This record gives sequence, C-alpha cells and structure tokens, in this order.
Amino acid sequence: MSHDEHTPFRENIPAYALGALDAQDAAALESHLQTCASCRTDLAGYRAVGDHLLTALPPRNPPAALRRRLQSRLPSAQKAIRPRLNWSISRVAVGAMFTLLLALNVNSVLQVSALQLQQAELTRQIQTSQTVLALLSYPNTQNLPIHANDANVAGTLLLDMDRNIATLIVWNMPQLQEDQTYQIWLIDPHGNRTNAGIFRPDLGQPFTTASILSTGNLSDYIGIGVTVEPTGGSDQPTGPRIVSVDF
Amino acid sequence: MTDIDDNELIARVAQSDERAFLVLYDRYASRVHALTLRILRDPMQAEEATQDAFFKLWNHASQYLAERGNLLVWLLTIARRTALDRLRLESRRPVINDADRPEDILQSIPDFHTLPEESRWRSLHFSVQSLQPNQRQVIELAYYQGLSQSEIADVLGWPLGTVKTRLRAAMEYLRHEWIEK
Ligand SMILES: [Zn+2]
Repeated sequence: MSHDEHTPFRENIPAYALGALDAQDAAALESHLQTCASCRTDLAGYRAVGDHLLTALPPRNPPAALRRRLQSRLPSAQKAIRPRLNWSISRVAVGAMFTLLLALNVNSVLQVSALQLQQAELTRQIQTSQTVLALLSYPNTQNLPIHANDANVAGTLLLDMDRNIATLIVWNMPQLQEDQTYQIWLIDPHGNRTNAGIFRPDLGQPFTTASILSTGNLSDYIGIGVTVEPTGGSDQPTGPRIVSVDF
Repeated sequence: MTDIDDNELIARVAQSDERAFLVLYDRYASRVHALTLRILRDPMQAEEATQDAFFKLWNHASQYLAERGNLLVWLLTIARRTALDRLRLESRRPVINDADRPEDILQSIPDFHTLPEESRWRSLHFSVQSLQPNQRQVIELAYYQGLSQSEIADVLGWPLGTVKTRLRAAMEYLRHEWIEK
C-alpha cells in the first residue's frame, strides 16, 4: 500500500485509540486495520498511551464506608446474616409469582376469547408468561436481580444459559409516552450492545414480562440493559437506561 | 497476603477468595476512585461506580488474562467504562474546566509503602500536565468524558479540524514521552 493510501487512516489512529473517532471514520479504519499490519502496530502504541492515561491520575481514597458496604455484599457476609431467611423469602416470592402468573394466563385467555381485543399483544403476554412458568420450574434456572436507578422498579431476570432462554420480570416499570418503547440490549465483554427485543409495560398488570431475543449464545454476554427508545426501537441505545442486569 | 502479587491474587479471587479480593481493593481502590471521580465529578456517583467496578472484578475475575496487560490497567478499563456508562445515563453536560485543581492534588496523600508506584503516576501525571492547555483539554474530553471528536468540537466551539490536529499532537507527544523513550 502506498504512503498516500495510508495517510487518512493513520491520522485517525490516535483518536480511535481513545475511543473518540466518530462512528463512520471508525468503521472505515477498522476495515483498513484488518489488512494493514503497520497501522495495527501504530494502534498498539497509541492504545498503550490510553492505558498510561488511566494510571496517570493522583490517587483518591474512597470513604472507609465504601469498603464496609462492599464487604457486606460478599457471599460470606450474606450467608452469615440470614442463611435461612434469604432462601425462604425467595421461595415465597417464587410461589407468589407462580400463582399470579397462573391467574394472568387464565385471565388473558378469557380476555382473548371474550373481547378479541389487542389479541396479538395478549398472545405475546401468554407466550412470555408460559416461558416464565417453564423457567421457574426448571432446576438450573438462574434468578438474577435487576438494577434500577428508580427505587420503585424491582424485579428479576430468569436465565437458563444452557437452553439460551431468558425472561425479564419487572415490577413498576414507568409508563411510556405513545411514541416510545423499551428496548433490551445484550452487552458483550467489549461493551458492544446488541438488540434483544422491544416491549411496552403490560397494561393492567403491576409487573411486566419480556423475553430476551438472542440469535447468539447468552453466555457470550456479560449482562443486559433496558433503555427508552422511539417506537420501533433503535440500532444502538439512544435513550436513558432504566434497568440493567449483570450475568 | 498483602505481599502477594496481583496475578496470584486475581487467580484466588476467581476461586471466590474474599480475602484476596479485599487485598486487591485496599491496593487499588484509590486508583479506581481517582478515575471515577475524574469522570463523574460527583462523590456519590463516583462511590457507586467504584463499587460497581469492584463487583465486576469479583464477578469476572476468571476472565482476566495476564498476557493481555496488567491487572491495574484491566481494572481501570472496567472502571472507566462503568463511569462513562453512568455519565451517559445521566446525559450530563461535560464540564470543560481544567480538572486539575490544586486541592485535588493536595488531597492525594502519598502512601510510603507504595513509593515506586507513587513516583510512576507522578511522572505520568507530570507529562499530562506539561501538554499545552488546549491539547490537554481535548484529551480530557475524549478520554475522561467519553466524547467523540465532533462532540468535542461542539462543546468547545472549535472547528473539527482543529480538534483533530490538537488530539493528534497531544497523543503524539505522550507516545513519545511514555512509549518511545
Ligand atoms: Zn495502514
């Protein structure tokens, strides 16, 4: 490759190494890097500058309370505080959820046959809740807590890595405007986001269920995020994140 | 356990060894917190980001590969991403003041038992401080605020070409100082 062909790419390498190159230029540079060893070497040098920048800040001690908080959330502290309680609460919660979902199923079937309203939406709800029922009764299902900035929002991700099935159950999800939807993103170890479906809060229910749609293996991801997006969803997250789950 | 090296400690953390985890916390919490504070500029938010970063270390310790770089850099990379995610979630306006206020430096009390590390970050810090102010500002917004070059141009009201030139010059200087010397 001649010097002239390299130049526009080579000029963009420092910004790319800092993650500051605009998307279009980044895509062009990435395809050039596939074929150009000399630009890859260049990039490695600038990436090392980025690593140095991470360590170039004067240390700042966090408050001592932070260490205590962290320690109290480690498994041994959790076990020491409430070994039986934890277990029995989650059993009760699962039992309550099971009953509620059965009621929802019967209820939804009645609504479909009697009213023929919003049939597609109700069918989706039924399918999702049947998935939830199946996941709840399967012994290898993981029950992961969700994180939300809004203290009223709580819930669980039911995850079966082996069978590549996951369903999100969220209580008190804020209602959306007409032209908005919630969108689920799978997050990989590099921070890339992949669309995993859209949903709106279930009307008339205190909780919302949504299936995670993944074409890849869920085990390739480190978690999910849920953002507010325009109706129909986006290619990449654009709105605020409401919920996240770490796998 | 405090004299055990990072690679051994992280291997133990991968086996759910809580004491090893706390040793790593004591060793690096002030470095992680410096970064989350720099990015978020809010003590409460920074504390949460620091905590999240260490939980990610706890949960993903088995994914650490020593041959890809040292543990501190890996941990700080996690912390940076965690803090930038929070910043985007808040969609706060970037702060364009120079972040190196004198009181920030004074608050960092040197630990005598980490003198080699201490002199290392001091010399790195010195190089960043010796950049021209407008070059330092571009690095600050790109790396510690997560902005793209065109976003930086918007925030500072500079032509995009100027942003690109200054970012390149700054990176070239730092590479010369840190990598080639
Ligand atoms: Zn090239």
